[in-house]
Amino acid sequence: MSSQNNEVPFLNGYFNIQYSYDDLFGSNPGLQQNWKTYFTSFSNLGNEEIMNRSQDMMRFLKENGVTYNIYGDPSGLNRPWNLDVVPFLISKEEWILIEAGLIQRANLFDLILKDIYGEQQLIKEGILPMEIIYNHRGFLRECCGIKLPGKHNLVIYAADIAKNNNGKIWVLNDRTQAPSGSGYSLENRLAMARIVPELFNGLKVRRLSPYYNAMRNALIEMSPQQKEQPRIVILTPGPSNETYFEHSFLSSHLGFTLVQGDDLMVKDNHVWLKTLGGLEKVDVIVRRVDDVYCDPLELKEDSQLGVPGLLQAVRSGNVSIANPLGSSVVENPGLMPFLPAIARRLLSEDLKLSTIASWWCGQPKELQYVLDHLPSLLIKRIYRDSLNRTSIDATLLSSAELSDLKQKIKAQPHLYVGQEKVDFSPTPAMVNGKLEPCHALFRSFAISDNGNYTAMQGGLTRTSLDKNNMVISNQLGGFSKDTWILSGDESSTLSIKKEQEYVHVQSHASKSDIIPSRTAENLFWVGRYTERVLGNARFQRTVMQFVEEANKAFIDDDLNLKQCLLRSLTLHTHTYPGFTGTGSEKKMLEPWKELGDILFTVNRSGSLSNNIASFYRAVHAVRDHWSTDTWRVLREMEETWQNASAVNHKGHYKMLNAVDSLITSMMAFVSLNRESISREQGWNLLDAGRKIEQSLLIISMLRSTLVNKREDQVEYILQEAVLKSNESLVNYRFKYRAHLQMPLVLDLLLLDPHNPRSLVYQVERLKAYLSGLPKINASHSLAAHERYALEAFTMIKLADKDGLSIIDRHSHRYKKLDEFLTKMNGLLLNISNAVSTTYFKHAQTQQQLFRSGNL
Amino acid sequence: MQYQITHTTEYEYHQSVSLCHNVTRLILRNTEDQLCKKTVVKITPQPDIICEYKDFFGNNVMYFAIQQQHKHLKVTVVSQIEKRITAGSMLNFYQTTPWEEIKLQVLEPGDDNFDARQYITETAITKSTEEILRYAQQSFTPRRSLFYASAELMQRICKDFEFKPGFTTVATPLDIVIKERKGVCQDFAHFAIACIRSMGLPVRYVSGYLETLAPEGKEKLVGVDASHAWFSIFIPNTGWIDFDPTNNMMPGEQHITIGWGRDYADVTPLKGVILSSGPHQLRVSVDVRRIL
Repeated sequence: MSSQNNEVPFLNGYFNIQYSYDDLFGSNPGLQQNWKTYFTSFSNLGNEEIMNRSQDMMRFLKENGVTYNIYGDPSGLNRPWNLDVVPFLISKEEWILIEAGLIQRANLFDLILKDIYGEQQLIKEGILPMEIIYNHRGFLRECCGIKLPGKHNLVIYAADIAKNNNGKIWVLNDRTQAPSGSGYSLENRLAMARIVPELFNGLKVRRLSPYYNAMRNALIEMSPQQKEQPRIVILTPGPSNETYFEHSFLSSHLGFTLVQGDDLMVKDNHVWLKTLGGLEKVDVIVRRVDDVYCDPLELKEDSQLGVPGLLQAVRSGNVSIANPLGSSVVENPGLMPFLPAIARRLLSEDLKLSTIASWWCGQPKELQYVLDHLPSLLIKRIYRDSLNRTSIDATLLSSAELSDLKQKIKAQPHLYVGQEKVDFSPTPAMVNGKLEPCHALFRSFAISDNGNYTAMQGGLTRTSLDKNNMVISNQLGGFSKDTWILSGDESSTLSIKKEQEYVHVQSHASKSDIIPSRTAENLFWVGRYTERVLGNARFQRTVMQFVEEANKAFIDDDLNLKQCLLRSLTLHTHTYPGFTGTGSEKKMLEPWKELGDILFTVNRSGSLSNNIASFYRAVHAVRDHWSTDTWRVLREMEETWQNASAVNHKGHYKMLNAVDSLITSMMAFVSLNRESISREQGWNLLDAGRKIEQSLLIISMLRSTLVNKREDQVEYILQEAVLKSNESLVNYRFKYRAHLQMPLVLDLLLLDPHNPRSLVYQVERLKAYLSGLPKINASHSLAAHERYALEAFTMIKLADKDGLSIIDRHSHRYKKLDEFLTKMNGLLLNISNAVSTTYFKHAQTQQQLFRSGNL
Repeated sequence: MQYQITHTTEYEYHQSVSLCHNVTRLILRNTEDQLCKKTVVKITPQPDIICEYKDFFGNNVMYFAIQQQHKHLKVTVVSQIEKRITAGSMLNFYQTTPWEEIKLQVLEPGDDNFDARQYITETAITKSTEEILRYAQQSFTPRRSLFYASAELMQRICKDFEFKPGFTTVATPLDIVIKERKGVCQDFAHFAIACIRSMGLPVRYVSGYLETLAPEGKEKLVGVDASHAWFSIFIPNTGWIDFDPTNNMMPGEQHITIGWGRDYADVTPLKGVILSSGPHQLRVSVDVRRIL
């Protein structure tokens, strides 16, 4: 397999077996030269350095939150993105052909799309069998006859391309629904440029950024009313979608708002975005939701991902969608065998890129061929379907599976296409520290800009380690490569500096203050969970420290005190029954198991892990609000906490350590936000959430520890614990220089406007944030949440520390204090509810009306 | 013959609704033997948006939206039509063509054939099963004429299935109807359609009304009629021929067409989406009466 004079000498250390250039790089001499240049830089870095850089790259991607979610796999959610340090190279000559072929194909699919939703000449003339279109789930009869503005209906087109051993280039799949991968392509390039810039030496690699500029222009041009700054949104199915990272990445990269279906509504035949300040008109939607899910009124009725009435807004010409509703009908393997004839009919041209030989089973002869040759073919369905695999490699099937497949094809032949299986040319990849040839699938993109299609000068390459597996998809794993298109032309090539600068320039800054109400709600809850995690962690730390040191305490009633604290912890964290109720005495003697449980048991409501999970959910839902540094803190915190959970109960010292480091990370998160988030509506809500939660926690802690009068000695330690948990013990000592006593403790924790941990401080800030929220009614009267906040603030201002410290002889409690705290608690909950109903409007649910049947 | 049809649909919401979008297919289309002379649509509360257009199948669609708080929605459509009897002279000639031949004829070029071919494929509601195929094959015996096979299928369905309002809803799947042998006109039409499609032939679902005559000597009550449905087969060079399996009859003067599609989902008389979490109630009444 390797000829002596054609070996790759300096790379020998990387191979398990010897390969020739041809084995590794294919037979194109120009490309072999480019690979030589690449591997010269590669070996200059050296084996160890390459491995280090590979790891750095994985870390970089992880820190940037680059993930790919796997449906139906609980552990696969947010699977990290794998990127090979070895790119996929495309020579200048190859690219000339690919680019021309891609643009020709984009034009062709655009014309087919227009024909299908218009005159249907292709079908009427017998060039295209009707069944391929009419039986496709993406043929939306509701969209027929709608005239779309602009030269092209198909805005974004992508094709999966591969080379075979003779260097011939094939198109395997066409993507017209909502092609994914353009965001991952850019992220791959950024990672390579940042981590291994040396590997670009001597190679003129084309830049990706012109594509994203074209994309932005294209979308602006699409706006139905010619506007300087149309409102463009990216419609995502939500955080559990496989490519959610990309939706959010493109949203922040292009400066478009990321929305889910219920962030939008149709009114007056226009689409509106529900924002904190009211409704904002939407001009263009970048659609990442499959089209049948986009309008529960006219399309799939049980869809929760769409906008009722959207199709009507499209029909009225008031909103443009990229790609338009109905475009998925041409994402259709059934078209493949008919494309050459269609190209001649519509373009008077031959196809520049070959399509894999395909047989549509809706024709008797072709059906027979596919059935006869089944074991050597790939079988595809004409549309994607969650119940059935789209692509089946019949060469890998057992005879039982083959006959099962045969039955399926015979039952609905028009839904199936047989495809020839071709051998792909090899490309080198780093696999476990060794270079190996593997085959690659390259996704290339084109966008309609100014009446012409612009191709991305790069793309997303995915590879599979399994040499027999020709079905490459992200859902099935594998890893990705940056794609380098080599150029002779200096002006179009990548300057690493430029590419990096570009990313940090945000072009649309002007409307940053308009935030969707869902984002507002999530920010509010990030604020609340931040404080809940912090507050509960601090209190539990204090309790654990005490329990740990209990034996050394110098008071007589040690056990009583321990019980008080543990019971308070249960009350405060709402982890009932915990240290209350029957059997609690036993738990109190050996409290560490329960203490570990309420730290680490994620599915126990009220546990710290449970609150951390809620915190992360809210954080992920507004992931583009956090800086890279913030993400690093969040990820490290997550990892550390998970590790601590894994060694749960392995020593009190370790539990305390885990809580310590959690608190430190969380405070870093809070400080980073304070330093990096601009003081606009988003910040107001985030911090309002924190203030409400802090207030509620102070109240809850006082109610669970200090409201009942205890023996002085016990009360003294409880006061100390409360102050410590509120980071106020030092303040107390400094301010009063006295022993702890109830009136002064309450003064510091409730009434002192200078103590940033006091209740009055929280409520005052909260009041300011609330009055800064947009006014929904123009009237001068206060909104409900403002009224509650004013009442709460006044109540604290009028409170008197000595009055609150009066012990009720009858009940042996601080009755006044309890009443005060109960009332405050009610007011704060009212504020939270009023904010929700006024500003978080998407909470209204959509419902289908009963339909009357025909009797 | 002239008719006036009054079709009223009412929704009662338990909580007030701030926004609703609706799509109706209640405005009658003209056919070879039916001329729609006047249509009055009354919607309360007054919609903020109304748009009319024709759908893919040529049916009249009205979209409307109400964008103010309301607890009650009422849609009344009053239509006046003239019904003519078409001479079935051509029919006699083609009604002897065997169904196998028609299956091939439909594939020949021509606008009518092209239009008809879209009604061959099964839909989600009319999915074929072994049982459906077996039921169909009893009528679709080799070389039998499509016309007579369909007529017999209609007759068998009428005999084998019990008309039982309330037993099924618009969402009841066909296999339950088949298992229980009970249902309403919509279920029978769907079943017949599934049978004929399983033979590879085009057939469509027709939504409309039926004039029900009062028993002799009694005045007809308002609201006893209901919207009705039946199926229609295609014979090349002849056209579409209707069959009513609920009444085992060839629709004539008393059948009034609203529109057609592949199944009920294509011609749902009224559907809508509201923003509300509370429950709601639906009331429908139809009155068909002759105008002299």
